[in-house]
Amino acid sequence: MEKGRRRRALLGANVGHTLRVSAQVSSLIMMRRFVENTTGALQASLAAIADLVQAVDESVTNIIFHGYQGRPGDIEVEMRKEQDALVICLRDQAPLFDPTLVPPPDLTLPQEQRCLGGLGIFLTRRFTDAMGHRVTPEGGNELTLRKNHN
Amino acid sequence: MEIAISQEQGRVPVTIFHVTGEINTETYDQLQTQAGQSLRAGTRYLLLDLTQVSYVSSYGVRAISHVFNLLRDSSESQDILSKGLRDGTFKSPHLKLSTPTPHVLKVLTTSGIDMFLEIHTDLTSAIASF
Repeated sequence: MEKGRRRRALLGANVGHTLRVSAQVSSLIMMRRFVENTTGALQASLAAIADLVQAVDESVTNIIFHGYQGRPGDIEVEMRKEQDALVICLRDQAPLFDPTLVPPPDLTLPQEQRCLGGLGIFLTRRFTDAMGHRVTPEGGNELTLRKNHN
Repeated sequence: MEIAISQEQGRVPVTIFHVTGEINTETYDQLQTQAGQSLRAGTRYLLLDLTQVSYVSSYGVRAISHVFNLLRDSSESQDILSKGLRDGTFKSPHLKLSTPTPHVLKVLTTSGIDMFLEIHTDLTSAIASF
């Protein structure tokens, strides 16, 4: 069996794929590679893969810098394929924060006058089809990103 | 990320940063630092060659905006700049970008970078545009 097909078969389209990393900048590259490899194995288009890698990288960066703010903690990413979309859940135990409530930045303002983290949230929103937040039963954050199939 | 620097003489002397790799959370300050050093050495016209840039995060976008601010003329007040951005009449004469990949171009345009920076599709026309 060709290598890519075997990998897709091993991953299984309807099974969730999970990675847990520590909330450190050095974890970002591992997170990006995980999203890239998993979405590829789930047969997403190259454009969708690039969009989801960007969205997850921006979201995890915000969790590291504005959620944990240097404190130790973990971030979990779970990916699954649904009938009409790829769904990614990001979970953390940082103080509760709902990024869906952040207004879009005024792109005509200089960077120093914009809300910290605002551009990352804006890019995440624009590169996915839906973004939702809920508080987990454990009291943490769960951010759900959805990218529809074309 | 690596930055190779070259000089071209057009109507004005143009410094070109040929950037390779990712401009992300871990590397954005390298671009800012290199630009600051180049400015102190006399650079006034800077072209970022993005041909070999595989990824730009929001931190990379901020770094490009930071370089834009470093290169701004003192005559370009914030009021004039903001009005020009809203009217679509302002483009930096000092900092330009060239040949981003399709996804990097999408990040830059979604972020509004193209509201104040020219993004060229080939290096030669980018150099000639200064």
